[in-house]
Order: sequence, then structure tokens, then C-alpha cells
Amino acid sequence: MVNLPANSLDDYRRDALLSHGELWLRYFELGGMSTALEVEAFLYEALTPSPHDRDLIAHALNERFVELGGNHPVPYADDDD
Amino acid sequence: MTADVRLAGIGMAARFEGDQAFLDVRGEADARSVPLLSALFDAVIASGCPSVILDLTEVDSMDAAGLAVTTSAAAALVASGGHLTIRSLSSEVERALDLAGLSGLISLELPTVPPKPAQGDLRVPGLVSPTSPTSSDPGSRTRAISAIPANEDVVDGALRLVVALARATVGGADGASVTLRRHGRLTTVAASDQTVLDMDAEQYATEEGPCVDATVAGRWFHAESLNEETRWPAFTPKARTLGINAILSSPLLARDQPVGALNIYSRTSRAFAGKAQELAAVFAAEASNVLTLAGTDVTEDQLSGRVQGALRTREIIAEAQGIIMEREDIGDKEAFDVMRRSSRSSSRPLRETARDVVNSTHHTSRDAESGTGENHG
Repeated sequence: MVNLPANSLDDYRRDALLSHGELWLRYFELGGMSTALEVEAFLYEALTPSPHDRDLIAHALNERFVELGGNHPVPYADDDD
Repeated sequence: MTADVRLAGIGMAARFEGDQAFLDVRGEADARSVPLLSALFDAVIASGCPSVILDLTEVDSMDAAGLAVTTSAAAALVASGGHLTIRSLSSEVERALDLAGLSGLISLELPTVPPKPAQGDLRVPGLVSPTSPTSSDPGSRTRAISAIPANEDVVDGALRLVVALARATVGGADGASVTLRRHGRLTTVAASDQTVLDMDAEQYATEEGPCVDATVAGRWFHAESLNEETRWPAFTPKARTLGINAILSSPLLARDQPVGALNIYSRTSRAFAGKAQELAAVFAAEASNVLTLAGTDVTEDQLSGRVQGALRTREIIAEAQGIIMEREDIGDKEAFDVMRRSSRSSSRPLRETARDVVNSTHHTSRDAESGTGENHG
């Protein structure tokens, strides 16, 4: 995204070229327990995920960015910055 | 092309006047129209247009996804020093915007008469049918985008919109198109002009070029300057004959599978710098969303295979998690974090880290049991 001060999880999802469904599947694959609807609500910041859920989503996105030739741009809960 | 534009019951149009962008939505802002609305917002925000007027006077209701997109666009505009104004007549839309806490971010106008676009506003310089002559109007101060033919199907209409937006807003773009693999063959489903159609056709004929490669490999191909290009020896001379010197092809993905490409062409070498590439990525993401929602060419078999694969991977990760919990005497979340950190530092998918953990235990137990062929559940 352009001109945005901070990326929301949904911005990262768009940049990662993932649909909501595909991101949820990748989250589920990593062991996530929340429903697709809940994950969508986390992305739109309508619900706040637990730190572990947030890390699962962050990691699903980061693995996708690695596939696209990038690094791990989405921060984790235990990242300091 | 008339001003009364419909997309399967939803009409959507955008026009730029000076530093104002007007987005008109008709019908219901629901699941089908939301990706388009999102694409329109992204386009105007990315193009740096500070003032956006969203005309919802002909919209009766807006669902949660529509609200989410509008909220996020309003926040992005405010963050970049811009502003969103919403025109609405519907008390239901008004109430929904209130409930979403949008009143602090936007201006709400309640016009007594629905504003009509001025005559000629909905001409589409970036969008012509394959048979009509190219109309280029670089001197015009009013840029109009959009317009979706009433009788076309939703996906092609949406992709035409994306092409028109890309053509109008990506700096250096002289033309744009969308290639899709349909019924095993590459087809151009939207093109800004005849030259672009010819460019795509040459790539299909020679079976090479950035658009073919992006569709097959599912990643970006950027030909900065065709004068120096060596990757496509059969196609490149034909492109140069058509006057094209730079090409940016971004992959389109439906449910994560490559299904096509968004191609942006320029007569100028090295036309596509950082900002143009960012915009192209935005449009490719939007087109991918549209294709994913439409389920383009992803069969039920492919989907069910994907779900089964995810289930197997989930089991392996859970098994590895259990092994680490036992080995290091830690909880499940901490065990996951161990694998996550290892995956991050090695840039390998977590499932591979998990597989290594599971395999190492198998080897250890095999060693311990001197190869008696134990069976792991």
C-alpha cells in the first residue's frame, strides 16, 4: 500500500496476494483454531487476536512473502520494534 | 458507453477532476461490489488524489465488508492528509456509517437531489473495445475511468475496470491488459487498446514474453528496456516493431494458483519505477481478489486437494510441537515459537522445520531400536 503510516494485517494480506480464504487455510495449516470469520475480523481489526493467533497470522503472511521473494515484513508479538 | 453503467445489478464508476475523485456506486454495497469499491479506493489513494467523494445516493444498504473497506479508505485518506466525503440519501447507510464510528473521519452530505455526472464525464480514455479505434486524449484535464458494459459477466467487467485504472494511474503506462488462462489457453480478457491486444497476441503466438512467463510462473516479470532484453528472442523484435519498449507483467492468482497476468506496456524504456511497480502490485492484488471470489479455473478437485494437504501439514506441525514440548519441557505455544523462530531465521517454511523435527525422532528411535521398523502414528 502507498502512503500509509502503518500496515494493518489486511494490508499485508493484500500485498501478499492472498485471499481471505487462502490466508485462513494457511493459518489453519499452522495449527490455528479460530474460524475463517474470526480471522477476517482480526484482519479488519474488528476483533483483537490473542498474541499466539496474531503470530500465526503473521507467520502465514511472512511465509507467503518469502515465497514471493521477500523477507519477513510482518512483526511478531515478541518483536521489540 | 452511457452514464448508466451496471455490473450485474451494481453500477460503479470513477472520475477524476483536478484533485478530486468521484466514486459513484449504485445498487447494494455487498460482497460482490466490495472488491471493486476497494480497488477504486486503492487507485485513487495510490494516485495521490487527496479528496474523494463517494456517492452512495443510489445505494440502499451497505454490509460489514463495505463498511470495512470504506473505513479503511477513510483512515488512509486522513493519514495522507486527504478527506473522504460520502453523499447518501439512505438512512440505513447513514446509520451503518454512524455505527462504524466513521463520523469523525468523514463528511456526510445529504443532497436533496441525487447529483448527476456531467455530460461526457464517463468517457473512458483507458478503455476501448477491441474493435474501436484508440482514443488518447492526453491534454484533457478530466480523466474518466470505469464503465462496465451491462451485458458482460462480472469478472470480465471487473478486470476491465482494473485495466482502465492501471492505464490511467500507473505512471508511464501507455497501455494495459489482463491475460487469463481459460480452458487451457491464454486469452486477453481486457485491453486498453489495439496495440496492447497485438502485444498480447504476439506473446501467445511465440509462446514467450513477460505475460506468458508471469502467468506460468506466478511471479513478476519486468522488461525494463526491450533494447537490452535477451530473455524472449522471438517476441522482443515484434514488440519493438509495435513501438513498445518496457513491459511490467504481474501475476494474477486465484486461490493462490497463478491464472493470469496484469500487463502494463510503455513506449518509453525504463518507464516503470518504484511507484509504478507499487501501483501495479495493488491492481494485480485487486484483480486476484476478484478472480479468487469468482473461483476462476480452480477446480473443486484442486481445492479439495489443497484442504487435504493443509490437514496433513497441520498434523505434522502438531506432532513436531508435541515432540518439542516433551523434549524441552515447555508449553504448546512456546514449542510453536521455537519452530517459528527457526523457520524465520532459515527462511524455510515452518512445515519443513516441523518435518525435520518429526524425522529426527524417527531416526533416533530407529537407531535405538536398531532398525526394527517402528510405526509412528
